[in-house]
Amino acid sequence: MVDEKVLVFEPHDCTGCMRCMTTCSTYHNGATSLSKSRIHIIRHEGHAVSKMDEREELIFDIITCQHCDEPFCQKVCPTLAIERNGDTGAIIVNRDKCVACRMCMVACPFGAILYDQDRRQVTRCDLCDGDPQCVKFCPTGALQFLPKRLAHLPKRDRLARKMTQIRAGSILQTRI
Amino acid sequence: MAIPDGYAGKALVINLDNREARFLPIDRFWADYGIDPRLWIGGDGFITKILWEDFQTAIDPLGPENEIIIATGPWTATAAPQAGRAMLGCISPETGGFSSGSFGWFFPSTLKYAGFDILIIRGKCEKPVYVFIDDHEVLFKDAAHLWGKETGETVKLIREELEERYEGEVRVLSTSVAGENLVKYAPPCADGTSCPGRTGAGAVMGSKNLKAIAVRGTGEVSLYDPRGLLDSSDRAVRTFLEREPLIKLWKEQGASTSLGTASNWPLSGANLAKNRDEADFPHFMNVGCLNCHSPCYHWLQIRGGKYAGVRQLGGHMTFLTVCLRNLGIQDFGEWIYFERLIQELGLAPAAFSIAYSWAVDCFERGLLTKDETDGLTLKLGDAELIFEVARKVAYREGNLGNLLADGVAEASRKIGKGSENIAPHVKGKAYLQRDPRIQALMWALGFLTSPRGGDWLRLHNVWELAFLPEKRDTYRKLTGKSCAQIYEDALGLLDMPDDLKKKIFGDPLKVDVEWIKGTRGKATFSVWTENFVGVFNSLVTCMFGAATQFLMVGFGPTTYCEILAKITGWDMTYNELMDVGERVFNLQRLFNYRIKGWDYRNDTWADQRVNEPAQMGIYRGKKVPWNDALQEYYSVRSWSKEGLPTKAKLIDLKLGDIAEKVDLPE
Repeated sequence: MVDEKVLVFEPHDCTGCMRCMTTCSTYHNGATSLSKSRIHIIRHEGHAVSKMDEREELIFDIITCQHCDEPFCQKVCPTLAIERNGDTGAIIVNRDKCVACRMCMVACPFGAILYDQDRRQVTRCDLCDGDPQCVKFCPTGALQFLPKRLAHLPKRDRLARKMTQIRAGSILQTRI
Repeated sequence: MAIPDGYAGKALVINLDNREARFLPIDRFWADYGIDPRLWIGGDGFITKILWEDFQTAIDPLGPENEIIIATGPWTATAAPQAGRAMLGCISPETGGFSSGSFGWFFPSTLKYAGFDILIIRGKCEKPVYVFIDDHEVLFKDAAHLWGKETGETVKLIREELEERYEGEVRVLSTSVAGENLVKYAPPCADGTSCPGRTGAGAVMGSKNLKAIAVRGTGEVSLYDPRGLLDSSDRAVRTFLEREPLIKLWKEQGASTSLGTASNWPLSGANLAKNRDEADFPHFMNVGCLNCHSPCYHWLQIRGGKYAGVRQLGGHMTFLTVCLRNLGIQDFGEWIYFERLIQELGLAPAAFSIAYSWAVDCFERGLLTKDETDGLTLKLGDAELIFEVARKVAYREGNLGNLLADGVAEASRKIGKGSENIAPHVKGKAYLQRDPRIQALMWALGFLTSPRGGDWLRLHNVWELAFLPEKRDTYRKLTGKSCAQIYEDALGLLDMPDDLKKKIFGDPLKVDVEWIKGTRGKATFSVWTENFVGVFNSLVTCMFGAATQFLMVGFGPTTYCEILAKITGWDMTYNELMDVGERVFNLQRLFNYRIKGWDYRNDTWADQRVNEPAQMGIYRGKKVPWNDALQEYYSVRSWSKEGLPTKAKLIDLKLGDIAEKVDLPE
């Protein structure tokens, strides 16, 4: 059985540079944009929208196709245009069948599928045929490409290291 | 003219007098202003040419005729490294001369995604207003309810009001209370994060009743060779991260901490080395602008004391320097609080701190009395007092607030009694730290030669003083390399033709105490640096790409040429690119000469103490040979002894048409 890999995001390593997004749009569309990137970094810029006495957070998180095992998008597609790539396990759009009805966008619970008006097509992460450019270009390693069954490890490892430090007394902070 | 790839394609010219917005195809705009994009590229290049065409004589910088120009470049908003920057230009309220500054975060890229390479704002609204650029539509919004609001609240209210569809969709460049009250050095701030800090454009916005510019951009930027751009950028970033001598330290400690603690700068901030113990870091990574691989913003939270819990995204070197050097603030928490306060009020750290420390000097000498300080006893090191004065200045409260809000130059003219001779400014603009003699001859020479007036960012070269080997060599424990080794590596990495390197560092190339304390090659290296700064300010990309600590061994002109070629399809050579920087610098010099009459006589210190023997640094016990250094500098620039570009030089730089119009030496 193919060891299907997925994108794994570690928010604590993310500097919010959006290089994954500029890379994605440039690689797939031949032009750089943030709005047409298939991967999206959510930014909560608490520092920019708070008064001095307000404690706001600065948080980055990710939205992109999860390449679900039982994808809702596939179930609702009227033209059976949504397929799984046998080599990479990625859920992809067969352009020959797709009529851009956008039902997949309705079905996706994450908002990971978008519609490119200029190119008149729905677009979504296709894992770049097994060599995701966002991972390659991430300057901090916040994005990794790991087998689904190992996707939990970076978080677990980070927490384990932190707990070790706390027990050893080298840090006081309990923040995780 | 076909519009090259890499440009968004339009200029937007807004007139606040009649609330009119005009959209111009960028090629038509270029034709109107005589701009060949290969000669000016973008950013500072465009701003310089636009100001040159629009202003033949001096104006009142806070009158409606001043204009705010925001110019991105072909680099901006592409997949190139550090693509989040743009330049903002205007006539400086402090000096009356040329002013521009780089800023980032996500306003510049969003403006470009909205379709604009250039935004010009002219005129004045009779009531407070903010402008919303919604992709291709421009709306003028009432800002009465925002007037008097500080930076963070302004951004929040505007984003809510415009109903952004996801967080961070709408980007806001706003002015704060200092700008509204026409504090002459007040900068605007982009999303409460990044400011074109030395422009004084916040006051210009205030004078126009313009509270903010908001932008939403959903478009894309075309590229000549997209996959090539990705490859070149990837290679450049990987090389940078592998070889930049201090990147590891930078990423761990942030922009300021590495400078203040690790480097051998004559800063007295050893206690700041413990900053990790003295502040919380809710987010452990540094944070940066678009496509940044060496981000400089630190997410900080004050751990203890009166201000415990206050947060700030920053930790920048300017604030550390001014706190330690000018204000005597040693406590890390107070330093973070100062940074946040200055940003919320919309003040400028260098200009404010120099004005304050000058007032302390005056107070101690009896040149300022308690009547003039509203009863305050001015002194250094008292953070509470300094915060109080900062608020007074931002709101122009009382005698002291009003006095310092005009900047140190004007304030000293008002007070007189010899206070002019201890006012740290050049051409009306305060510089970073009070004693430039410590950092002669390259860094501080830039205070004299910068077209912005006393300013350190156009000659940001620390080769002669970053690693003074006879001082403590702290680098070995931080980077595993000694000063001498870092210098040797840097000599190899510096992207400069061999003959030029030999001219600066001798043959064989060597940087030692003799070089550091001598004058050989300094003028040449200064000129090269200023031209280089002109290049990345025109592209526009971040100075921290050139190197985290300004040894100029990050991206060099060769890397910039390669990546620019992938964006635009231009096959520019190293020399052609550096010529752009030189052209921009020369025209800025000429612009100031035309509207202000500035020449060699203005390349001088108002503060007479600077002409005395130095107490520390390279010139300890000796006078710094400023005039000799300047004459050598003029000569390297092929300028006349009066410090003016010659006609021959301008023709060399393809500025022949301009040479005809100005009375200049042959």
